[in-house]
Amino acid sequence: MGEAKKFPYASEVVLPPELEGWEEMYPPQRLFSKDREAWENKHFWYQDKIHAPEPMYPLDDIFQEAWQISLSQFTTRVFCIPPAQGVAQRMLGCYMYITAVEPPPPEVIGEKAEHFQKRVFYVFENYDDLWDKWLNKFQALGREMEALKIPKEFDKYVPDSEIFPAPRGYTQAYEIIEAFNTIISQIFKAWQYHFEYLNLAYLGYLMFVDTARKLFPGIKESTIGKMVAGAEVSMFRPEEELCRLSRLAMGQPPVAEILKKNISAEKKMEELRAIDAGRVWLEEIDRIKNPWFFVSCGSGWYHFEGSWTNKMDVPFSYMQSYVQRLEKGEKIERSLTAISEERDRIVSEYKALIKTDEDRKSFEDAYKVVRTIYRYAEDHLFWVEHWLHTIWFEKIREFGDILVKNNVLKKTDDIFLFNRFEVPMLLEDLATAWALGVGAPTRGKFWMEKAAKREKILEAARKWMAVPGLGVPPEEVSEPFTVMLWGVTTDKVADWLKGSEVESKDVTEIKGFASSAGVAEGPARVLKLLEDVVKLQAGEIMVAPCTNPSWAPVFTKIKAAVTDIGGLTSHAAIVSREYGLPSVTGTGIATSVIKTGDIIKVDGSTGVVTIVKRV
Amino acid sequence: MAEKWIYWLKEVGQEDNNVVGKKCANLGELTKAGFHVPPGFALGVEAYSRFMKETEATDLLLKFLDDFHADPNNVADTLKYEEASNRMRALIESVKMPPDMEKTIKEYYTEMCRIAGCENIYVATRSAGPMSHPGQYETYLNVCGEGDVVFNVIRVWSSTFNTRSVIARARLNLPLHYDPIGVAVLTMVDAKAAGVMFTVNPVNGDESKVAIEGSFGYGEAVVSGNVTPDRYLVDKITFEIDEKVISDKGNEFVYNPETKEMEYVELPPDQRKRQCLEDKEVLELTRLAKKVEAHFGCPQDIEWSISRSLPFPESIFLVQARPESVWGKKKREPVLGKKSGMELFFERATTPVKLKM
Repeated sequence: MGEAKKFPYASEVVLPPELEGWEEMYPPQRLFSKDREAWENKHFWYQDKIHAPEPMYPLDDIFQEAWQISLSQFTTRVFCIPPAQGVAQRMLGCYMYITAVEPPPPEVIGEKAEHFQKRVFYVFENYDDLWDKWLNKFQALGREMEALKIPKEFDKYVPDSEIFPAPRGYTQAYEIIEAFNTIISQIFKAWQYHFEYLNLAYLGYLMFVDTARKLFPGIKESTIGKMVAGAEVSMFRPEEELCRLSRLAMGQPPVAEILKKNISAEKKMEELRAIDAGRVWLEEIDRIKNPWFFVSCGSGWYHFEGSWTNKMDVPFSYMQSYVQRLEKGEKIERSLTAISEERDRIVSEYKALIKTDEDRKSFEDAYKVVRTIYRYAEDHLFWVEHWLHTIWFEKIREFGDILVKNNVLKKTDDIFLFNRFEVPMLLEDLATAWALGVGAPTRGKFWMEKAAKREKILEAARKWMAVPGLGVPPEEVSEPFTVMLWGVTTDKVADWLKGSEVESKDVTEIKGFASSAGVAEGPARVLKLLEDVVKLQAGEIMVAPCTNPSWAPVFTKIKAAVTDIGGLTSHAAIVSREYGLPSVTGTGIATSVIKTGDIIKVDGSTGVVTIVKRV
Repeated sequence: MAEKWIYWLKEVGQEDNNVVGKKCANLGELTKAGFHVPPGFALGVEAYSRFMKETEATDLLLKFLDDFHADPNNVADTLKYEEASNRMRALIESVKMPPDMEKTIKEYYTEMCRIAGCENIYVATRSAGPMSHPGQYETYLNVCGEGDVVFNVIRVWSSTFNTRSVIARARLNLPLHYDPIGVAVLTMVDAKAAGVMFTVNPVNGDESKVAIEGSFGYGEAVVSGNVTPDRYLVDKITFEIDEKVISDKGNEFVYNPETKEMEYVELPPDQRKRQCLEDKEVLELTRLAKKVEAHFGCPQDIEWSISRSLPFPESIFLVQARPESVWGKKKREPVLGKKSGMELFFERATTPVKLKM
């Protein structure tokens, strides 16, 4: 392997001086380190733009920390995928880098194979049943998190009810510490469940791609995506609810009129509450709000993205355009039957082309396997990243609120500037000051200064163009997520290498996966921060680090979609295909090369994005 | 009763290979199946036989061949064959057609003109051997008027005496003086673009694709390999155009009304790299290719032509369809090793993905 074909090692990366002090935001085990350098340098690390496209807020890092354990253990210790090991993470300059750990020694592969066969076979045999069990336990966990009691304010004196008839024996000082410990356990448990069947779902998908390619060498991954995608998955339900609510509004002209107004969601709700029909309609929202409005406005990975529940402008703007379209006589719903019928047609026509009965039988069987398990990849997402994360962020903000009330922090969301090992220090500081009695100080000034400094570091990190990879690319990869989710392929790594050498303004053409066919040209809207989704104008081409199905209604507005990272079966790719929009995913560099307003041409059949005119 | 020797295309089908030659039989089959094929008629091999027997042609040829000696396996003798071919072709082309045959052919042509609603339509006279000899015999394009039709039918027959056909027969020890073929007389399509398509990806045998090659003007340019055509690869099932390669096509093969000859004309610079087909035409061709393949039940090699004067989709004509010769004959072996879904799953789980740096 030549000298040129490598990325810098972590220790060789020069960070901008404004980032100084970034390391203290993250626990030491999450940093590159001298003591582990030999092992670290043996691995090829790449920036995880799917889960961490932005500099990482210390408390948001908890999801990453949790998946490092969970994803890896299901591969190495639970289902024992023979040649694969886990995915390790390291923070560098506030960005997260990951690597597929090198394969285990041969004797371990042999040992794992035995467990693997037995356990995996059982899962496939019983999947429907297991899914019901999964959903039940997951929903129970979410409800426990919702029920968690966090003190709103410290009592001046403990109330009588806690003394008589028998003293409780502990106070809010203990409660707040316990509550945080509990919610940490809950989020870790949720992330344990997250991967329960996901590794197998991804492997199933990869198996089906291989099988289809052996029979039809030229079959496109977007076509395979259409074959395996489920139509009735939980992730599409929120959008369906918006369609239904919009139709309900159409039956009540005064409600529809209010929804069409160009005023804030808050104002709309106020006006709706003033009329009978409006109150009835709002009751309907309240009825379905949990779970179907517990949808992140972004990926669910960052606190600042917000959820529909606290950014009602988002669902209301979608409903505004739905009502307008309904008035024009347009159809707003995805036709589930049409999607299923099209999927069945594609599968049966391909099947009819298979030349031998033996192969047809293998193909049918492989399809059955992937269809059994693949819906997990589509269902878990709503329940974990959207529903449960919405609950998590709301609860964490309750801790933030009480810290603000007692002058430990300036703003509620500043709590996200402290990692999960630090937050207990803030809470203890607060509880101690309360316990000590009147006039005892906290270290509020210290925490506030720290928060301000960290905010500055993150701001600087946002401007820094992080290197896409670190170290020497490997010769083979057997870790299913690396291939499937992050799309690490020979071409991809080569593009990263190339991209790190070229000035972004000199790039006129970028390549990615052809994930939804068609060609479109128009002005780009770069949505680096996911909350910018509101700025999007009709007819623009969305360029984002990664897209997310909770943006589904956006797809009725845009002409095409381009992402930095994302497989062909990402939900965004699926939605693009359903709306017949061209889309190119996994370009690696789109958001850094394209600027809002650039005229770009997206060819979803070839996977090429051309920058036609720069602003 | 004398044997029938002339047919409307719709009167013949696949089973008539030996009666009218493969090309006519296939065109007849396509016509009967409802495909858009240029209207026309077919002269059977019987017409060739009658012409050769009822005129003095056979006698003249045999007399000439008595004194002709050459070795088909000796390259040096090629010139001898060439000279003999010229002599024999001149001989045939000077013979007059039996009057009743001439009258009948003229009547069929007049009827074609009547149906087309236009006097003296342009036709192509194409050879149609009972065996496939691609490119061996000759075809004459833009033939116009009843006299010319009769003369060009004789020219197609005489092309069985072109140098390569004579040498080919000599090598196989077949009689040199006689090689009956059919002739198709087809309405010319005023082609703005034409080409060939396969109902299988010729590169890897993927039967879920239709591979289309086309260029501006008449299809001979693509078939003969004289231009680099545009290439399209279309998925038969999703109808997505997977690949589109637009080439510098250089020339177009067109009819020159002044010289009455077909010729290659250099395309203007802005035309050379222009796409010769619109996407909707590519998709319509794909739809037709699928239907033809379904009709014949095996991968097909299809020639098509797009008229410049007719509106889409009537503008699209099929001018030939035959079984694809490479992948269609491959033995159909299973490629998945008779594995079950779970076996394939285990196989995938234990196979690392290679990265090539």
